[in-house]
Amino acid sequence: MVRAALSPPKRFGQGPSRYALFVPAVTVVIASLLSALPIVATSGWFPDFGFLALISWRLLRADPWPAWWAAPLGLVNDLFTGYPIGFSIALWSATMLVLDLIDRRTMWRDYWIEWMLAALLIAINGWLQWRVARAIGADLPFTMMVPQLLISICVFPFSAWLISRLDAWRLGRR
Amino acid sequence: MATARPGWSRRAQYGLFFSLLAVIAGIVVGLILLVTSMVAPQAFERIRGAALDITGPISGGLHEVTATAQGLVTGADDYWDAARQNGELKRERRAMLQRMVEAKAIVQENRELKDTLKLREQTHDAVATGRIVGSSFNSPRRFAIFSAGARDGVREGMPVRSPEGLVGRIIDVGQLASRILLVSDRTSIVPARLLRTGIAVIAQGRGDGTVEVRPLEVGRNPFKRGDIIISSGTGGLYPPLVPVARIVRLQDDGAIAIPLADPSETSFAVVEPAFEPAAAETPSDNSSAAP
Repeated sequence: MVRAALSPPKRFGQGPSRYALFVPAVTVVIASLLSALPIVATSGWFPDFGFLALISWRLLRADPWPAWWAAPLGLVNDLFTGYPIGFSIALWSATMLVLDLIDRRTMWRDYWIEWMLAALLIAINGWLQWRVARAIGADLPFTMMVPQLLISICVFPFSAWLISRLDAWRLGRR
Repeated sequence: MATARPGWSRRAQYGLFFSLLAVIAGIVVGLILLVTSMVAPQAFERIRGAALDITGPISGGLHEVTATAQGLVTGADDYWDAARQNGELKRERRAMLQRMVEAKAIVQENRELKDTLKLREQTHDAVATGRIVGSSFNSPRRFAIFSAGARDGVREGMPVRSPEGLVGRIIDVGQLASRILLVSDRTSIVPARLLRTGIAVIAQGRGDGTVEVRPLEVGRNPFKRGDIIISSGTGGLYPPLVPVARIVRLQDDGAIAIPLADPSETSFAVVEPAFEPAAAETPSDNSSAAP
């Protein structure tokens, strides 16, 4: 990162985008809004786009947004997706905290470790959704969540790639 | 927060500590809200409705676009083999005309019989008509977004049906859009009966687009493949005599059925007033209420 900052700019007038600070949060909100797509499905197999965007940003950088922003972003996700209000607020804040702790402990990071972390987080997200649905009265077998989990885990590398491109764009490092 | 110690700067250390506190506060607030929305779902009615007013029109607009695109494709397709379709339609029309005359005779007979029995039919006017424009495609629950809201007279608890059968009932209402709890959601329980024999059954969603049907009385499994389930009107939430589902597979103590009104195929749906209004006004149990 330091090296990139020290190297002379390739072209003049190509600094970070003016709204660079807000781009990550806005992309998460847009990802949450994807649940307004006119898809009428009889099974809930699509990934939780908002959560995917959140962990993609957070795994890419330690500071995409001040950590407490996770709470309002979670509220937006709850409202747009129709989850019980408070679910994403608590889960997303906890995700930020857990990833900070993991950042302290891990010695090195590579694609596989990131993917494994993401898979773990996605699985926890799905399991908690299932638990909450059960507590409300939707007593489903957990096998119903498995297709969604697998699809989400397979989609994560694509989401991470997209977010890394967005990050390069917002910092003017194309 | 990435590093344990940001250096010797007191200011940076405090900043780190307070951001940690803020995140923990976020978790606590989230948990409190979550428990509230699980115990008392009505608490967030207003804000959920407002969110629906944002997403509903977006879904509706995008739905129009995709529907138009599909219409163009199928329209072009229809031109392609117009001659064959024309012949087929003519044949069908002749057959339908015969059936219609028969049906008219039956209606006439029915009316006379009812007159003699002095039966009065309760007619329900539709509250609102709309389209199903979206769904909860990333959640284990089965909800659908409906393109009519409080402005059109839609209220919480009202049943929704399409020409094919029962779709579900309204659980969240915004001004412009509302959210339907589909028949196939796990918390949806429809008191129903078997059309063939009239046995009282219960249809509960399974969360994957199908419903589980069980007879109310324990005994021999009364179902056969292809049986039609219709609502019984017990409990007062759903009107009676609305087709609900068709049995596709038998189980030990019941059967699996597919709802007749497939929300992804349904173009229009109608909101009706609650069959017995008192039933909708007092959401009796927590389990059937909004998430």
